[in-house]
Amino acid sequence: MSKSLVAASTRPMILSLLLKGESYGYRILQDVMSLSGGEIDWSEALLYPVLHRMEKEGVIRSRWKTAGEKRMRKYYGLTECGRLELEAEKQSWLNIHGAFLRLWTAAEGIE
Amino acid sequence: MFDFEKAIGRWRKSFHGSEAIEEGALEELEGHLRDKVEDLMGRGKTGEEAFAEAVEKIGKKELLDEDFFQAAARKAGGRAPWKKSRFGAGLMPNYLLTAVRKIRRQKLFSFINIAGLAVGLACCAVIILYVVNELSYDRFHPASDRTYRIASRTVNAVGESTGVSTGNAMAPTIRREFPQAEEVVRITPPPENADHVLAVCGDKRFFENRVWFVDESVFRVFRIPFLQGDSGKALSDPFSVVLTESMARKYFGGEPALGKTVRLEIDYDTGATELEDFRVTGVVRDAPRNTHFKYDLLLSGSTLLRHLADYDTDYLDYHFDYTYVRLAPSADPVAFGGLLQRVAEEGARVYEQRFNRPAGKTDYFLQPVASIHMRSRFQGEIDPPGNWTYISIYSLIAFLILLIGCLNFINLSAVLSATRTKEVGLRKVIGAGRGQLARQFLGESFLITFLSFCLSLVLTAALLVPFNRMAGTELMLGGLAQPAVFLPLLGLLVLVAVGSGAYPAFLLTSFRPAAMFRGELDTAARGAWIQKALVVGQFAVSIFLVICSVTAFRQLGFMRGQALGFDLGKKLVLPVQSNISHLRRDYEAIKADFLKNPDILGATISSSVPGDIDEGGYYLTTREGDFRGAPRLLVNTVDFDFIRVFGLKMIAGRPFDPANRSDINEAFVINRAGLKELGLASPEDALGKRYQAHYNRRWKTIIGVVEDFHYRGMRENVRPLLLDIEPSLLDTLTLSVRTTNRDSVMKHIRAVWESHFPGVPPAASFLDERFDRLYRYEEQMSRLLALTTILGLMIACLGLFGLAYFTAGLKRKEIGIRRVLGASSSSVVALLSKRFAGLVLLSALLAGPPAWFAVNRWLQEFAYRVRPGGLIFAAVAAGALAIALATVGLQGWKAARKNPVNSLRNE
Repeated sequence: MSKSLVAASTRPMILSLLLKGESYGYRILQDVMSLSGGEIDWSEALLYPVLHRMEKEGVIRSRWKTAGEKRMRKYYGLTECGRLELEAEKQSWLNIHGAFLRLWTAAEGIE
Repeated sequence: MFDFEKAIGRWRKSFHGSEAIEEGALEELEGHLRDKVEDLMGRGKTGEEAFAEAVEKIGKKELLDEDFFQAAARKAGGRAPWKKSRFGAGLMPNYLLTAVRKIRRQKLFSFINIAGLAVGLACCAVIILYVVNELSYDRFHPASDRTYRIASRTVNAVGESTGVSTGNAMAPTIRREFPQAEEVVRITPPPENADHVLAVCGDKRFFENRVWFVDESVFRVFRIPFLQGDSGKALSDPFSVVLTESMARKYFGGEPALGKTVRLEIDYDTGATELEDFRVTGVVRDAPRNTHFKYDLLLSGSTLLRHLADYDTDYLDYHFDYTYVRLAPSADPVAFGGLLQRVAEEGARVYEQRFNRPAGKTDYFLQPVASIHMRSRFQGEIDPPGNWTYISIYSLIAFLILLIGCLNFINLSAVLSATRTKEVGLRKVIGAGRGQLARQFLGESFLITFLSFCLSLVLTAALLVPFNRMAGTELMLGGLAQPAVFLPLLGLLVLVAVGSGAYPAFLLTSFRPAAMFRGELDTAARGAWIQKALVVGQFAVSIFLVICSVTAFRQLGFMRGQALGFDLGKKLVLPVQSNISHLRRDYEAIKADFLKNPDILGATISSSVPGDIDEGGYYLTTREGDFRGAPRLLVNTVDFDFIRVFGLKMIAGRPFDPANRSDINEAFVINRAGLKELGLASPEDALGKRYQAHYNRRWKTIIGVVEDFHYRGMRENVRPLLLDIEPSLLDTLTLSVRTTNRDSVMKHIRAVWESHFPGVPPAASFLDERFDRLYRYEEQMSRLLALTTILGLMIACLGLFGLAYFTAGLKRKEIGIRRVLGASSSSVVALLSKRFAGLVLLSALLAGPPAWFAVNRWLQEFAYRVRPGGLIFAAVAAGALAIALATVGLQGWKAARKNPVNSLRNE
């Protein structure tokens, strides 16, 4: 998968993952991996800076939670802003998806 | 056993000092790491393997730092603040400040440094300008690459000769028959008085010697910009004259010259000469110095037709006539050669018809106009040609003086920078990298080089004034803007800047800062051999220059002072340039009038005086009319008194005798060299031999032989010479005067002159001054050499001074201890001087052989020369040593005089 497509899809992907509830970095990585069947493999050095940046921008928020044996995990969740951005992103991606779909079915029809 | 917690601790530690990973982020990463490890162990890996893989996956500090920073930054691609600057631009003001402080704190050194280089650069710039100017002759004419002068090579019974003159019909023939010649122009000097045309304008009278008859096309072939008048029409009518600016000012003051009249006396070789009116039809800019065709008055060529009816049709080369042609780019050289061939054959045909004897074989060929100044050395050149020898010598001098300046500059810069170890140490401690420091030092040396360059421009402008006066050139500072001058200089400046910055930039920055602070490092010692080499280089070049200039001056003195074989002093030479028939008819009476004053010891009339005797000569034969393979002697026509007045020594026979009037038609006198040319064994053999001269077909007898005298200077061997009494060629009066009553003598001379040649301005000059013109190149070179030598030596001494100063500083403690233990001042001076004496002697040894070679090469130019003795070399070496020791000794003395307490107090 191309680098620019990964970069473009990172934010909407994170937002979408958080839609079903709060999550933490390692889980997000695992989820992306399993969702894409191993195709998308984000590095930690990519994920965490993006999470921090999104938090600064206010589309997600974080809080520390204990996770047994005195271990702490930083959980991220969507904010209202995040939801709005996700709506907009969703629309864009669907549009693109629809466009491709129509193009390809049309092309198959000609064949 | 693998301790997971300890490993985590170490991992955390590796992130110490990270500026990008904010608080909490590391904890988050740690959580991530733990999750990953657990996960991996769940899949059966050992703790150690899992940890290593997880750490690997997360990445190293540097990578994370960069990613975290880039994600947080507002601007993509920016530089993180903890990273090294890519340009060091942030420190620029600081570097500049440091450089300025350094210059201000060490005023003397900085001055020596900057001034030394500036002087070198300025000398070099002047000489480069001169050389480029010499090489730039005649390149500014339109299409100068396609413009040629027609020259000839003639082989006849008596030998081969080359010339630059053609028959008058050459130009009209080319114009008529060869349309691919875009332009053709004839330039003809006044037939018989080219070097002294009398110009009368109102009550003002002048002699002009740059007067030419030219075809109208001259303004299209040569670049001659008009100030007034129309270049297309100015010379279409006979008796038109185009003046240069300065002539117009000389004749008419500030008034407009156009339409005014100038009266000129031109000798057309038709018998009588009279003043004719020429109408001014144009004013042009003065002829530039860098053209071989120099002019003051340009007269319409059609004027000549009024006096010489065959000016357009004569194929023979009676009068000088220079033909220039501009060929079209497509012109066929073979076809043109064929045309020249036809002209030559036509000339030969006319010659045979007219003189009824076989003509020699003449070939015409083309000389590119831009090559004339440096390459053409034929008979009848318009302008004295340039001299390659001196061009090369000047270039070498320029290079050497610059070399001294640069060596000095590099040397002093190195010395100065050695005092900056602490600065370098401090900069390194607070994080400067080597590259950064190197850039700082290089930048500094570029700054200083630039300052030198600015100063050298000022110096160049100042130097050009005396130089132009000395060399007779019109060089201007603006000439430096030509790429041919500018680019090499620029390249050289960069080289100097890098060279002088290299020592601190690369050596100084390589030391460890701690060592620099502790003063463990004898930084100077590490670069000392470079400095020694530089000083040796400077001194070697200086000594080389000194030897050369001393020899040049000795040779000049020799050529002036050596018994020239004739009496050079106190001779007043008066060329008679108008009313010459009066001189030739009544010269005895005129001489008698001059001799009435007792302070005038002698008077003689001749066709030339020593120093001016030209290539003109007679072929002499013993078989009536047969001059094949005949010997040729240069000739000077004289009167009865010439031998006596010039003090020539007879070695056989007798001089011309006034009591014996038949000497006029009967007698020759030759010089010793003439004996050999005529194949005579001894002077006595020559007496009574009869020869016929080709010039006037007269038979005369040799009545005497004079000892050789150097009538053409000492540069060439004395050539065979014939002295002949021939009144019809006399034109120069020489008076031997006593200068004790200078005023009354001059008054008498003026009065007699005025009575015989009324209205003709006298053009008197002393023979020794005229004779010196033979040596003008040598004279010019010696002066230039002397100047550069002195400057070079000064710079070299400054360099040595700097080094001595520095060494004295280094040895401060040693000197202090020696003083405390009782050493005298003089022994301290000796301590410092010893090592430098060796360096200077080494320089002398290095400079000796090349100087010997160069000096001998130059002396080969002269037939009579001094011998470069070993004594001179020794004297020069001793002189250099003395100067060097004086420079160093001063430093040593100062160091010795310091109170040792001050130098020993620390530590």
